[in-house]
Amino acid sequence: MTEAPPIAFVIDDDPSVRRAIKRLIGSVGLQVELFGSAQEFLHSKRPDVPSCLVLDIRLPGISGLDFQRELAKAKIHIPIIFITGHGDVPMTVRAMKAGAVEFLTKPFRDQDLLDAVQFALARDRARLQREAEIALLRVRFESLSAREREVIARVVSGMLNKQIAAEIGTTENTVKVHRSRAMEKMQAKSLAELVKMVERLKIPFENAL
Amino acid sequence: MISASTVMTGSYDYGEVVRSILIAIAASYAALDLAGHVTASSGRVRVAWLTGGAIAMGVGIWAVQIKAWLAFRLPVTVDYHWPTVLVSLLVAGFASAVALYIVSRQEMDRVQILASSLMMGGGIAAMHYVGVRALRLAAVARFNPLLVVLSIVLAIVFSSAALMLTFGLREQTKGTALRKIGSAAVMGAAICAMHYTGMAATTFMPSVAPPNLFHAVSISLPGSNGVVIVTFIVLGAAILTSSVDRQTEAEVRRLNERLEQSVIERTRQLAAANEGLRREIAERQRTEEVLRRSEDRLRSVIDTIPALVWSKSPDGSADFLNQRFREYTGLSEEDGLGEGWLKAIHPQDRASSIDEWRAAFAAGEPFEFESHLRRADGEYLWFLFRGAPLRDETGKIVRWYGTTTDIEDRKRAEEQSRALIDAIPQQIWSGPPDGSLDFCNGRWRAYMGLTLEELQGEGWQRMLHPDDRERVLKAWRVSVMTGTPYQQEERHRGADGQYRWFLARGVPLRDAEGCIVRWYGTNTDIEDRKRAEDELRKQKEILQKIFENIPVMIGFVGKGGHIELVNPEWERRTGWTLEEVHEQNLGTLAEAYPDPHYRQMALDFVTMSTGEWTEIKMRVRDGRVIDAAIAVVHLSDGMSLGIGQDITERKRTEAALQDARANLARVTRVASMGELAAAIAHEVNQPLAAIVTNANFCLRELAGERQTFEKLQEAIAEIVNDGTRASAVISRIRAQLTKDVPERAELDINEIIQDVTKLLRNELTLNRVSLRTDLDTHLPRLLGDRVQLQQVLINLIMNGIDAMRNLAGRPRELLIKSAKNPDGVLVQVQDSGTGLDPEHVGQVFEPFFTTKPEGIGMGLSISRSIVESHEGRLWAESDPRGALFQFTLPTQD
Repeated sequence: MTEAPPIAFVIDDDPSVRRAIKRLIGSVGLQVELFGSAQEFLHSKRPDVPSCLVLDIRLPGISGLDFQRELAKAKIHIPIIFITGHGDVPMTVRAMKAGAVEFLTKPFRDQDLLDAVQFALARDRARLQREAEIALLRVRFESLSAREREVIARVVSGMLNKQIAAEIGTTENTVKVHRSRAMEKMQAKSLAELVKMVERLKIPFENAL
Repeated sequence: MISASTVMTGSYDYGEVVRSILIAIAASYAALDLAGHVTASSGRVRVAWLTGGAIAMGVGIWAVQIKAWLAFRLPVTVDYHWPTVLVSLLVAGFASAVALYIVSRQEMDRVQILASSLMMGGGIAAMHYVGVRALRLAAVARFNPLLVVLSIVLAIVFSSAALMLTFGLREQTKGTALRKIGSAAVMGAAICAMHYTGMAATTFMPSVAPPNLFHAVSISLPGSNGVVIVTFIVLGAAILTSSVDRQTEAEVRRLNERLEQSVIERTRQLAAANEGLRREIAERQRTEEVLRRSEDRLRSVIDTIPALVWSKSPDGSADFLNQRFREYTGLSEEDGLGEGWLKAIHPQDRASSIDEWRAAFAAGEPFEFESHLRRADGEYLWFLFRGAPLRDETGKIVRWYGTTTDIEDRKRAEEQSRALIDAIPQQIWSGPPDGSLDFCNGRWRAYMGLTLEELQGEGWQRMLHPDDRERVLKAWRVSVMTGTPYQQEERHRGADGQYRWFLARGVPLRDAEGCIVRWYGTNTDIEDRKRAEDELRKQKEILQKIFENIPVMIGFVGKGGHIELVNPEWERRTGWTLEEVHEQNLGTLAEAYPDPHYRQMALDFVTMSTGEWTEIKMRVRDGRVIDAAIAVVHLSDGMSLGIGQDITERKRTEAALQDARANLARVTRVASMGELAAAIAHEVNQPLAAIVTNANFCLRELAGERQTFEKLQEAIAEIVNDGTRASAVISRIRAQLTKDVPERAELDINEIIQDVTKLLRNELTLNRVSLRTDLDTHLPRLLGDRVQLQQVLINLIMNGIDAMRNLAGRPRELLIKSAKNPDGVLVQVQDSGTGLDPEHVGQVFEPFFTTKPEGIGMGLSISRSIVESHEGRLWAESDPRGALFQFTLPTQD
């Protein structure tokens, strides 16, 4: 699978600053896309590649910090690097708590920004990979029969085959068959692996029990 | 010799005994009866009565003896020697005479009783024994000596008893018959007892010798009875004589007395009648004379006296009018008589006059009434008609007499005084001593809208206010009873129904004896006074309440600085009570102002009493020093009224507020500085960020192996642009701070200076900077933005204050001066600080230049922008005596 080239998005109302940042990030071979406002960014079509957002705190309309919250609400998990003309400590804390990668005060050192961008892209790349794995696990899990899911849910919670058989009203052998079939479908080599898989899927088995 | 066998026994004929006893009683009665006559008579009459009595009684006693002898029967013939019998009769008569004589005396003592008793008793005994000698019989009489003595003693004892009885009963005429008969019975019984005792003492011895019958007679039964009859005749005659005599005598005596009485009475009457008659005659003579004379005089008098005299018959028609009457009224005799005189009565009064006359005539009592009478010339004047009736013996009125008197003057005087009483602006009343009212003047009647009739008696009480009624009537009763003058304040209802306050006074008029004749009184309207009093009281109460409750210290100070009165707030604030202040007085002042200099100043302030407010400090009782704002004013009586407020708290609050304000100002300044800084940071950092980033890109490019010329050129161009842009940002911010569009209004720069100095007074005080202003009052007005110009002045003054903040050893003075200038108006702000560093003089107006730790260096820069926007000029000069900032502003023309 060939990896798509990552992109750094920059939102700043000052075109001069935007251009300077694009020039700087572009100089290390990264693709840069510029936006004058948050709306512009939201309305743009963004490729599903590792990416990061360089965001000015003071923006026309919505502020950078509020925009960060909105993105989180919309489940857009793009790493954010804040830049600001003058930042204060509370503002920084708030941004970092909300998951910002870096908080840079203008005028910033060129290397600081570049490092932050690289770090953010790496984090986003990992995120994308994780999301892909979970998607695969979900497909496998979808292939399980209802009975198999019942058995798996109880296996993961640590019940013995016999207990499971008694609870769902079948024989121990039948449970064993379900179990081995499910593990096969999930491509889990061990029980521990199965448990990990189920955890990553964050399936609310409690409901199934 | 006498022997028992020879004693002749005799027997008694009891019938004779009884007869003898009766005779004795009759004799005794006669004796008793006659004794009174003997006593009552005198002279020969007495002798006659005595003789008669003695005979009657003697005969009686003697008859008893005879009878007793006859009752004694002896077996022999008994004859009597009559001479001896006569002798015994004489003895009896003599004894009776003696006894009668004695008892007839006016007084009788014991010796006389004894003597007469002896005589009488002896007489009777003698008679008895003499009688025995008269007996002639054939026997010898022998006497038992013991019985003889006993008989004599008995005779004496009975005689004394009889004498005493007789003496006690004499001169008795009425109601004594029974007693007399009783006494007579006792006496009779005594005579008999004595006699029969004597008989018992005699015994007869038979003798052979014949009795000597010489001069002897035999007494036969008829003879014996003859003795008795004679005796009774004698006794009866004596008693009858006595009785008749006695009654006659008493009657005569009575008649005599009466006669004498009436003679005296008649004589006196006659004398009095005589005297009266004489007087009457004299009086009548004189009266006739007087009458005659006065009749003549009366005629002339009646016709000449200056009074109108008349007489009228009972039917009311005039039958006489004196000359004066006729002359006065101009009525002739013919016109005036009868009913004619009525023509002289004023037509208005005529009807009432006739009524008065009729009523008077009907009553028959003297009368008087007043009426107008016409004078001959036709004028009517007031006259008083008085009349009285003349009656005959039967009480019938035969004529009326009267006079008619001119009372015009009196009437006029009455009317005048009435008019006067009605006219004076005082309510006047009077009444009899009983406390009722019978007069009140027109003033009062008009006030109450009531007539005199309605007010009379107790009618006046109805106008009393119900709340006063009891009190007023009680007080009036007390005055009426005790005669003490009356004085009360009371409300009277007027005709309009409204009550007004009056001062009612009453005094009694007394006669010579001090008895109250009348009450006189006045009512004075004191409503206005009362209202004024009420108002005054109310005002006083209000002032008092204010004085007591107002949270302001109030004190009254006398001429010598002595505190006369202070209010509770003063006491609360200073801690001294009024009593303590009175005790110490100037001592309090000394405590309040320990420093004599300040004390004198305080005293002077009080003495001057300018009324201006000033702030002082004083020490109060507990040693605290309080701030007070006080003002003192003069009162008309020379005292001073001080009003003060404890402003310690206010001062403290003000100071705190000042601090708070200063802090707030600093905070605000810091906050706005922060804002400014943020704005600057953002605005300036943008281009800076772009510049730095582009510059870094260039450096990276140049450090690389391969450079793209176009890219570098492009980046450097951007750097230049951003640098220019940053500069523009600064300018824009400054423009923003100085406000883009200042307002323009006509204003007076002196007003602005005064406003600002007021605003900054506390700032100046806090930093102990004394402010001097030298303002030209004839400055032309100019156009400008009041707020912006205030900002400039505040900036300059604050800079001046800041410049002197750490100044020591030199006075901190700030001078603000305004003056005319060729460019318009010049304003200077000069401090006494160390002045500006010569090398800074050129820089102070540049943005962000500051020498102050918390300054941002914008004040003067902005101020200059403002002044310049007003087309004026702001500059600074400096010397070691301080900095001088000044600006000019063009005037309108």
